[in-house]
Amino acid sequence: MMMRHSRKIQLSLCLALLLAAAACRGNVANNTAGTAGVRVTDVTLGRSVGGDKAITDRTDTFKPSDTIYASVATEGSAPSATLRAKWSFEDGQLVDESTRTIAPNNRERTEFHISKPDGWPAGKYKVEVFLNDQSADTKSFDVRGS
Amino acid sequence: MLALRRYLRQAVFPLRACMEKEIHVGIFDGFGKKKEEKPKADFSNVQSGSSTTSAAPPAAAPVPNPGPTAGTTGSEQSYVVVAGDSLSKIAKRFYGDANKWPRIHEANRDQIKNPDLIHPGQKLRIPGA
Repeated sequence: MMMRHSRKIQLSLCLALLLAAAACRGNVANNTAGTAGVRVTDVTLGRSVGGDKAITDRTDTFKPSDTIYASVATEGSAPSATLRAKWSFEDGQLVDESTRTIAPNNRERTEFHISKPDGWPAGKYKVEVFLNDQSADTKSFDVRGS
Repeated sequence: MLALRRYLRQAVFPLRACMEKEIHVGIFDGFGKKKEEKPKADFSNVQSGSSTTSAAPPAAAPVPNPGPTAGTTGSEQSYVVVAGDSLSKIAKRFYGDANKWPRIHEANRDQIKNPDLIHPGQKLRIPGA
C-alpha cells in the first residue's frame, strides 16, 4: 500500500516537472519572437555625434542654444525595425516626436536630434526611446540658462 | 520643573511657531495673492532629425515616403507648422528649393487635403532630401 502511494507521488512529481519544463520552453520562444531579434542596448545624450553616430560630447546638462542629440545603440538583426524618440518637457508637454525605420544588422547606432532656434526654455526634459512601439529606455536631462 | 520648561522650549514652541507660520501663509494666500504660474513653454518651432549607421529598410518597408523620394536615404524629419508657413517655404527650408513642396504634400496626404492650407501646430513628415 505504502509503495503504491509513493509511486503515485513520484509520478505526479515527474508530471509537474515535465509541465514546468514545457512552460519554460514556451516562454523562451515567445521572448525571442517578441523582440524580433533586435534590442536597444544603450541611449546616450550629448551635444554632437561622430560619423559612427556615437556621442562625442556627452552631457545631460545643456545650454538653451544647444542642439540635443540622443544616440541609440541597437543590437541584433532584422529586415526592418522602427525607432521612435519622444522628447517631453517637465510639465508633460510634447516637445517633439521623430520616427526612424532602420534595417539593423548586428550593432548599429541611430541618432535623433532636436534644436530650437530661439533657445530651449530652462527646465527638466526627458527623451523616451521606443523600439517597434515598445518603450526601450528613457533618459532625463536639464537645460540651464546661459 | 526645569526639565518641563526645557521640554516646552524644545518641543512645543517650535511646533507652535511652525503652525503660526502655516496659518500666516494660509491667510496670506487666502487674501488673493495670485500664485505665480510659469507661462507654458512654446515648442512649436522645434526642429528635429535623425541619422543612422543602419541601412535603410527594403522598399517594401512601411516608410511613409512615397513618390519622387523613393531611392533616397530614407531619412525623415518632422516639422511643426508655425504661423506664416507654406509648403513651399518649408520645402525651401529643408531642401533649399521651394518647388519641391509636392514631396512634403505627398508625404502628408493624410492630413493635408488642400496644399494651400496648412495650420500652425500641424506636425508634418519631411521626407529625406
